[in-house]
Amino acid sequence: MTAAEEEWGRLMVAAQQGNAGAYRRLLDELRKWLCRFYARRLPPAMVEDAVQDTLIAIHEKRHTYDSERPFKPWLAAVARYKWIDRLRSMGRATMEELPDDIAIEDHESSVTSSVILTQLMTKLKPAQAEAIRLVKIEGFSVEEASARTGQSGSLIKVNIHRGLARLATIVQKQPDVE
Amino acid sequence: MSSDLLLDRLVDELRPVRPSNPRRQLAILLCLAAVELAGFLALGTLRPDVAAALGRAAFWWKMGGLALLAAFGVHIALGSFNPVSSPRSGLRRWAVLVAGLFLVGWVIDVAGQGTSALVARLMWRMGVECLTVMTILSIPPIVALGLMMRRGAPTDRQASSVAVGVAAATWGALIFAFHCPSDDPFYIVFWYSLGVSAITLMARAVLPLVSRW
Repeated sequence: MTAAEEEWGRLMVAAQQGNAGAYRRLLDELRKWLCRFYARRLPPAMVEDAVQDTLIAIHEKRHTYDSERPFKPWLAAVARYKWIDRLRSMGRATMEELPDDIAIEDHESSVTSSVILTQLMTKLKPAQAEAIRLVKIEGFSVEEASARTGQSGSLIKVNIHRGLARLATIVQKQPDVE
Repeated sequence: MSSDLLLDRLVDELRPVRPSNPRRQLAILLCLAAVELAGFLALGTLRPDVAAALGRAAFWWKMGGLALLAAFGVHIALGSFNPVSSPRSGLRRWAVLVAGLFLVGWVIDVAGQGTSALVARLMWRMGVECLTVMTILSIPPIVALGLMMRRGAPTDRQASSVAVGVAAATWGALIFAFHCPSDDPFYIVFWYSLGVSAITLMARAVLPLVSRW
């Protein structure tokens, strides 16, 4: 355990006792850590939402941290749970119109930054991985993805939905995806 | 909302919290079990032949087995409310324990019973009553464990719900066993398994929906 992680544990114990200064310091540190965590696991357009969602979860569930145990595994478990949640919600959002700001101009950098997500996608069927990569990571519309892959629009949606559900299951069964 | 605004809001909302304490939760559940058992027996439900039953191996197999399953189930469920723990390996061990208990029940059955017709031994009318009362008696522990699950941070809500289901179902069965006059392992395995399965399925269907965080 690093000194920083030990310090996080101490700050969380102080926060559990109501120390606002310690809590503010802890949340600032955790925000940076969570940004790095999700940048490797989610498309760039989703990182900020995931970070904020996780900070709220940490706030609401701070009483479940046991001061006799290391802080980092607790933090990682919460972050991973929210990652799985986010993957599932990406699948549910397939039918909805994507916001304009999800499209990333620099497609290559968006793919390389979500390195763990990209690695996990190799475990999917190629058609599912391709549909997720084009629509969810690179920001193409379903119609554009359909034209590029030759899959029908409905098939693109089905492949995204099933692929993301499968990804969530894979992550859930692999406790330490790094 | 920007991250800075969010952090300001979270810090403003900060109040002291009492960290989760599994020992305190266990004490609450033990009190609940004692109150439920006392209330059930106060209705005059204790089996009339309890003195005679104390001398039968099958009686101790039934009561001891259910107590063991309920206690182990509660232990798995409470542990799974911490985000760091997954209940899946515990549930596998719980299933192995069930299989072991069934085996012991079969040995007791073969050693002590004749070859009477299986259908007659099931005693359908009593079995349905057994299912109904067992389900009612499982409601208090399901509610208590469900509230603890909701307050906790289970990261595998489906498996935690199964853990709550098996714990509450065997708990309800244990309390019902103080009334149930049958010590026939075939009857116990059939009806109690049916009851535990139904209650667990119910918990698996409902609890993930109410414990999302």
